[in-house]
This record gives sequence, structure tokens and C-alpha cells, in this order.
Amino acid sequence: MKVMIRFLALLGLAWGLLGAVAAAAAPVVPRDDTEVVEVLPAATASRAEERRWRREWTAHRGDTRIATAAARRLLGRAREEGDPRFAGRALAALGPWPDPDRAPNDVLLMQATIEQYLHDFDAAAAKLELLARRAPSDAQAWLTLATVRRVQGRYAESDAACLALGNIADRVYATACLAENDGLRGRVDAARTGLARLIAAPGLAVETAGWLLTTLAELEARAGNPASAEAAYRAALSQHDDGYTRISFADFLLERGRPADVLTELRDQPRSDAVLLRLAIAGTRAGSRNGARDASEMRERIALANERPDARVLHAREQAMFALRVEADPQRALALAQANVRQQREPVDLLVLVQSARAAGDAEALREADRLRREIGLVDRRFEASL
Amino acid sequence: MVRFLILLLASAFAAFAAPASAHKSSDAYLQVSSSPSGLTVRIDVALRDLDLALDLDADGDGRLTWGEVKSAWPSIASYVANGVQIAGCPLDPADRSLERRADGTYAALTFRSKCHPSSEPVIRYSLLQGLDATHRGIARIDLAGGASVVRVLDPSAAVAADPASATPIEPTRSGIAFLREGVLHILGGYDHVLFLLCLLLPAVMRRTSGDWQPVGSFREAAVPVAGIVTAFTLAHSITLALAASQRLLLPSWFIEPAIAVTIVLAALDNIRPLFRGRRAVVAFAFGLIHGFGFAGALSELSLPTAAFAWALLQFNVGLELGQLMIVAVAVGLLFVARANPRYPAWVIRGGSCAAMLVGALWFVERTADVSLLPL
Repeated sequence: MKVMIRFLALLGLAWGLLGAVAAAAAPVVPRDDTEVVEVLPAATASRAEERRWRREWTAHRGDTRIATAAARRLLGRAREEGDPRFAGRALAALGPWPDPDRAPNDVLLMQATIEQYLHDFDAAAAKLELLARRAPSDAQAWLTLATVRRVQGRYAESDAACLALGNIADRVYATACLAENDGLRGRVDAARTGLARLIAAPGLAVETAGWLLTTLAELEARAGNPASAEAAYRAALSQHDDGYTRISFADFLLERGRPADVLTELRDQPRSDAVLLRLAIAGTRAGSRNGARDASEMRERIALANERPDARVLHAREQAMFALRVEADPQRALALAQANVRQQREPVDLLVLVQSARAAGDAEALREADRLRREIGLVDRRFEASL
Repeated sequence: MVRFLILLLASAFAAFAAPASAHKSSDAYLQVSSSPSGLTVRIDVALRDLDLALDLDADGDGRLTWGEVKSAWPSIASYVANGVQIAGCPLDPADRSLERRADGTYAALTFRSKCHPSSEPVIRYSLLQGLDATHRGIARIDLAGGASVVRVLDPSAAVAADPASATPIEPTRSGIAFLREGVLHILGGYDHVLFLLCLLLPAVMRRTSGDWQPVGSFREAAVPVAGIVTAFTLAHSITLALAASQRLLLPSWFIEPAIAVTIVLAALDNIRPLFRGRRAVVAFAFGLIHGFGFAGALSELSLPTAAFAWALLQFNVGLELGQLMIVAVAVGLLFVARANPRYPAWVIRGGSCAAMLVGALWFVERTADVSLLPL
């Protein structure tokens, strides 16, 4: 029966794909020439400056230095604004080097970093491994590789990259890198001690301190110490307020059943998909005035994104969370969560998989999820309640 | 050193920020429909994307006014007409307007052509080529018979992709990928291999009044082996097809332990005759159960609904190929070893006892949901 339901769910998704192309579009009829019909995303650099370097790039398309600088700037904007369009443009800036074997090291690193942002983890890892072979002293290549492997749930390979990093760069990165993997495997005490020592070191940049504290907070959340986790999240945000930490904190608060606090924490954040999703979940749970509005906006964004078939790869995590926690459609959430863990296997991905399987009453999927968790080697106290 | 560290940190955060994806990548929407008077093509492109290609924002203030768009209409129309070409159908501009979608305002251009393509029109698509590597055109094409197809147009690729093969829910597996999955599944499916081995262990011997005698010729061993393998294959093909096509479904909490039981019984039969030598019948009966096990593995692969029968056939043929490899190697080795006087004691009884133990442990694992064995 379960198989049958899943089969029907798949058919439904395929059908939805065909139908979605006719998604809503409303005509715009401007009254006069001065009416603004579109606001282009705010640029940190002025428009004139932006055009100047775009022209420079167009005129010197084979120039590695200009191309990687352009790509770095564009990827930075993609991150700041949560807008993947800029990542596509960044990748296009490096278009003259389609063959990894012939691409210069800087170009290869940049391409891999953009692919990682676009969740193309296999492609990113292949480039980073090539780069690490070619330039074993490239610390950034190792650090990024360690992260990609961790996201893929391949901790042993992540460890190897962390260790290689330790031979060439500042120890703080290698230590934090290994401590994070230790924490994921449930060696909480060792990881906590390692991170605490790094955090206590004098003269730490605020960004680094914030990053280490967020790592610690996530570790405490997985270890089932909510009070310590919350303290670490708040310390991280007071050091350096970044979008990632806010989202991670919001997920933690949702897990703890505190939707009202989520609404407070995310109130002033730019309404990226990740932020809007959490607002929709928290608003629905708290029964707030804006909950229904946020949920319907998120639904609209998902429908639009899904007009492109590969969108479900990029957004499967968020879509699974939405299906489970807002739409209360565990069958669909389960199908999405299962598709998602083929790409990303962070604790949150397994958590939504387990919770969907449980909500769907699918014992087989639940066993499968636990098998995957064991295969990865992830230890997370939060699963115990769900398995 | 400081610069180096800043670079490193950016990368650490990069990794960090990865999951917080937002908005959407750049898409243009194409609607191609044919009528007795010819072909109508409507193309919606985001103003943001057109600004990237054409610098629509003439005064560079970051705000696109209707005046700026209006004066740029001719260049927009020629850029779009250049970037979307339909083989054998020259496009003439017919209409233009603005449309609001969830991610911004789009320019909507309509073109007409007097042509009548007999089959699905071939679209050459190059909008935003070299400007945005993740841009795609999503084309919905109404075919003559009333059906419609969706195509994903990649400016950097020559041929349009069929989105039905690109959804992650049904991952693309090109060519004979399911054949490989079938081979891998039986080679890595220790329970099926162990069951087969239990049946094969005594195949190189003859049971004579409670004792074992080695067979004289390879032929004498090969005939019963062929019978056993054929029966097992027939049986599991039947249930695999029934389960995969949703005609007969049994829950895995029953099937998985049942497979463990088949191993225990097959092994026990080697020590104390249970089935009076009718091993082919046993292979058939138990093969039915194993077929459901294969179906479970197959459901994890998410078969394409479109080419379901083809994928199923591949998977099954893959299973049989893998099975033949195992049988060939096992029977070869057993045949060589059969002359050894200790064969019945060590291989048949020892091997069967070991198989019974493993089967029993699997049974416990699969009913109590605990992990006892590393496999």
C-alpha cells in the first residue's frame, strides 16, 4: 500500500510539473513613462561601477584575474541577497574555461565554490580534488573540500581534507574542521573541548568567533543540550550576525517548539526563501496574523521554482520542510526528503527525512533513514525522539 | 597572511551559507502553439535578465521605468528573436506587453509564423548565452494532436532536454543503467547469494541412503544446477514483475524475515533431508519470496514511470547475469573440491551450519530490528 501511495505521489509530481508551466502571471499596464516597472536588486557597488567591470570583463574574456574577480564579486552578491541568479552569472564569467584539466587553479577553485553554492556537490568535489592534487598547498581548496564532503555525509573524506589543511594553514581552521566532524560522529566532549579552546584564544576575528560559536551551538543542539545551544547561538549572533546563524537558530527554536521566538529572530532578515520558509512554519504554528500570508507566498515561490525540473534538487530540503510542516502532507514531504538526501546529508536533511517517514507512518522508510544515518556515522540525540 | 585568512574564512562561510538557497535561478518561459493560420510563439523574459544583456536601465539608477523599457522595445525584440529560432519558421513580431510574476516583471513578446511544422518544432535557443550559466528556457509546446510537451532549453547545449528525465524524483539513468543495478544488487545481496549457495553445495554430490557420493562427471552436476537456477529465476521473475507493477504487494516486514527463513530451511535440508531431493521445487517456491525482496530493492531505485517495463526487464536481466556469474564460480570450485573425502563433512555440513546460523541471525535482526551482523 505504501509503495502504491508513493507511486501515486510520483505521478502527481510529474503531472504537477506539466501543469505548473501555466503558472500565474498578471499583466502589467503602466500609466505613464515615469512609472517604475522593475526595481533591480540593490548593488553594493554603484550601477556605473558594476557596468564598468562588466565591460572590462567582456573586453578581456580570457584574462584569469579579471574573470575570477568578477566571479567572486557576483558570488558574493548571490550570498548577500540569497539570489542564485548571481551565481549563474558568476559561473558564466568563468565560461571561457569549460575544461577543468586546462583551467588555471584560481578559476577551478572559483568554479567549485560556485557549484557548491548551487548544490552541485559532486561536480564541486571533483574539481577540488583535482585542484588539491595539482596544488597540495592550496588551503582554501582543502577547506572547501572538507565542507563539501561533510555536507555529503562523507566524514572520513572530510577528515582527510581537514588533516591536509592542518599541514599548511593556521591551525584554527584544521582544528575547527576536525572538531565539527567529531561532533557529528557523537564525540561531543572532544569536539566541545577543541572548539572551546579555539574560541577562548585571544585576538580572534569576530567572523571567526561567530563561526566557531555557531558550530558549537549546532553541536550542543545535536547532543541534546538546548540551554548550552541557545547560549552559544546568542553568543555567535552577538559576535557576528550572519544569515546562516539566524536560520540555524530558527530551526533550533522550531525544534524546541518556540515559534513565537522564531518570528522575533527573523523579523528584520531579508525575505530569502530560507527565511520565508521559517516564517511560514513559525507563523502557521503560532497562528500569527502573517502566517497564512507567508505560507501562501512560499507556496507561490515553490510553484514558480518548480517550473524548472531541476529546481527540486536545489530546493528539495526546503520543499520537504514546507510540505511536512505547513502543508501537513507527509507523503509528499517524504518523497522530497528522500530525493534530497541523495544530494545533501546534513543533520537537518536526515531529521526532515525521519520526521516525514514517521508522519507518513512508513516504517520501511524510517528503517531506511536510520540505515542511512548509521552508514554516514551521524550521531544526533534529536533522532531518538523520532525513530 | 591577513588577506589569506580572509579568503579562507570566506570559504568557510561559503560552505556554511550553502543551504540557505533563495529565490530562483533565471528562467524564460516559452509557449509554442500551432493553429490552422500558423505558429504562435510567446516568450517571457525577465526584465532583470534583459538588463544584463542590453543595459535597459539607461540612467543607471537601478529603477527600470516604463519609459526606459518602451524605448528599448526594438532592441529587446531583436535580441529575443535572435535568441529563439525555430527551424523552418521565420518569426515576425506581433505583440508585446509586461507581465508580473512572483520573481519580478517580465517582458512578454509574441511572434507569429506562417509555417506548419509536421512534428515537434526544433528550437535553437541562445538567450543569455555566456551571461548566466544557469539560465534555461522552459518551453511548453502544444503538439498537433492536442497533447503538449515541456522542454528545457539550455543555451549552451545543442539539444533540448526532456524534463521528464530530469526530475530528481525520477533520476535519469541512461541506456542500460538498470542492468548494472541488477547485477550489483545480486552481487551485493548477501542473502540471495547465500540462499543460492545452500542449494548448490550438494549439487556436486549424490545422496545415497543418508550419505553423500561425489558425482562422476561435470554433466551430472550441471543438470540439477541448471534445474535449480531455472526454477529460482522463473519464480523470482514472476513475483518481481507482480510487485514492481503494483499488482501484488507484500510488506517488507514479512518478506525480509521470510528470506532469512528460506536460507535456514535450505541449509537444514542439506543436513537432514526435508524436501526429499526435490530441490528445483524448493528453489521455485522460495524464489517467489526472493522476488519480492528484489522488488523492494527496485522500488528504492525509483523506476521511471515512462519506461517502466524496459527498466524492469533490464534490472531482471542484470539479476540473472549476476546470478550466473555466482553459479559458474561456485559450481566450478565445488566440482573441483568434491573428490576430497572431507567434502560432505566440511563443505556440506559445515557450510550449511554456518548458513543456518547467519540465516537465523538475520531472521532475528529483521524481526526485532536490531543489528547483529556487520552485513
